[in-house]
Amino acid sequence: MTVSMKRMLRIGALGLLFATAAAWAQGDAKRGEYLSKAAGCLGCHTEEKKGAVPYVGGRALKTPFGTFYGPNITPHPEAGIGKWTEADFAQALRHGKRPDGANYFPAFPYPSFTGMTDADVRDLWAYLRSLPASAQASRPHDVGFPYNVRFAVTFWKMLYFTPGAFTPDAKLSPEVNRGAYLTTALGHCGECHTPRNAMGGPRKDRFLAGGKGPEGKDIPNLTPTRLKKKWDDKELADFLSAGLTPDGDVPAEAMSEVIRNTTGMLTPADLAAMIAYLRSLPSIESEPAAKK
Amino acid sequence: MKIKLVASGIALIVGAGYGAAAMAQAKPDVLVKQRQAAMTLQGKYFGPLAGMASGKVPYNAEVIARNAAYLDTLNKMPWDGFNNNTKDEKSRALPAVFTDTAKFKESADRVQSTISQLVKVSKGGDEATVKAAINDVNKACGACHDDFRAKQ
Repeated sequence: MTVSMKRMLRIGALGLLFATAAAWAQGDAKRGEYLSKAAGCLGCHTEEKKGAVPYVGGRALKTPFGTFYGPNITPHPEAGIGKWTEADFAQALRHGKRPDGANYFPAFPYPSFTGMTDADVRDLWAYLRSLPASAQASRPHDVGFPYNVRFAVTFWKMLYFTPGAFTPDAKLSPEVNRGAYLTTALGHCGECHTPRNAMGGPRKDRFLAGGKGPEGKDIPNLTPTRLKKKWDDKELADFLSAGLTPDGDVPAEAMSEVIRNTTGMLTPADLAAMIAYLRSLPSIESEPAAKK
Repeated sequence: MKIKLVASGIALIVGAGYGAAAMAQAKPDVLVKQRQAAMTLQGKYFGPLAGMASGKVPYNAEVIARNAAYLDTLNKMPWDGFNNNTKDEKSRALPAVFTDTAKFKESADRVQSTISQLVKVSKGGDEATVKAAINDVNKACGACHDDFRAKQ
C-alpha cells in the first residue's frame, strides 16, 4: 500500500467519523420517538380526554402533596419549550432544574431520568423538537404550602436524589443491564412501584416491591416474590405488551395506560430484557397491606 | 274465571316475593362466590377480544359478536352480589365499593354501556370500529378495577 493510499484511507475514515458525529449531534428524531414511548412521556404530558393533542400538557397527577399537571412540552416558544437549548433539556432530565435554575418538583421523574445516556437525551430532544408547536398554556400545579416552595425541593434533592447516568453492572448480562436501564432510567417504573416515605422519598429498601403508590392506591410488588408465583415469561410478555392475562382479566386502567403507551411499544428484545431484569431482582416480601 | 285470575295474580306476587326473599337471604360468602364467578366468566369471554384488539390473536368477527352477546348478559350478573352484607367478606373488593356506592354504580354502568356499544358494532361493523369498541370496554373495566379492586 502506498503512502498516499494510506492517507486517503485515513481521510476517508476521518470523514466517516465526522459524518457520524454530525448525525449524533443533531439527534435521531425517529429513535427519539421510540425513546419517548419507552420513557412514558405521553402519559403525564397529555390530557386524558379523547382526541387530546399529545404533549401539549394537562394530565393531573393527584399526590398526597397536591395535584401536579404535566406541562406543554411542544416547541412553542411561549407555551412550550421552544426557547430551550439541548443543554436546558439535559439539565431538566438529569438534574431536575428549569432553565432559570429553579427546581422541578419530583412529580417529574428526574430521579429516574437522570440515568439516561447522552445519546438518548439527544435523540429524545430531537424528537420533541419535531412535534407541532401548540400554544396551549400549561396549567399551574395545585399544591398547597409548604410543598409549593420550589426552594424546599433543594433539601428533598439532598436527601433523595442521586444524579448520575446509569452504569451497567459488569457482573450482569448485557440483556439484564439493558432491562435495568429500561426499567429504572427510561421506564421510571419505580416512581409508582417503589413505595415512598412521608417525605415522598423512595424507600430504597423496598425497591420495586410495591405498596401505596403516589395516588394512594395499592401498587403491586414487581420483585420475584410475586412475579414468580404469578406468571411465566411468556405470560408476563403478553401482559406487558398487550394487557392480556392468562384468565382474560383486565388490569387496572393505571397500568393499562402504561401498557398501551409504553411497555406495549417496546421491541420484543427490549421487553424480554425488562422481564429478565425483573426476574433478577432480589425477592422482597410484599407488605401486609398490599398482600390481600 | 275471575277468581282464577286473581288467584294466579296473587300466586305470582307471592312467588316474586319468594324470589326476592331468597335473594336477600343469600349468605354473604355465597354472594361473593357468585359475583366472582360472573367476573371470571367475563374474563373468559373478554380475554380473546382483548387479544384481537391488540393483534395478538387473529381477528374473528363471529367470535366477537358471540362473545359480546355473552358479555352483555354476564355483565348484568355481578352487581347485586356487591350487597352491603358482603363488605366484611374476604375479597379484592375495596371498601370504596360500599362507601362510594354512587361512583361504583357509575363505573359499573359505564362498563355496561361500553358493552352495549360493542354488541351494536360487532354486528357488521368494520374492524377498526370494533377494535375501538373492545378497547373502550377494556378501559371501562380497568377504570373500575383501578378504583374498586385491590391489586394482587
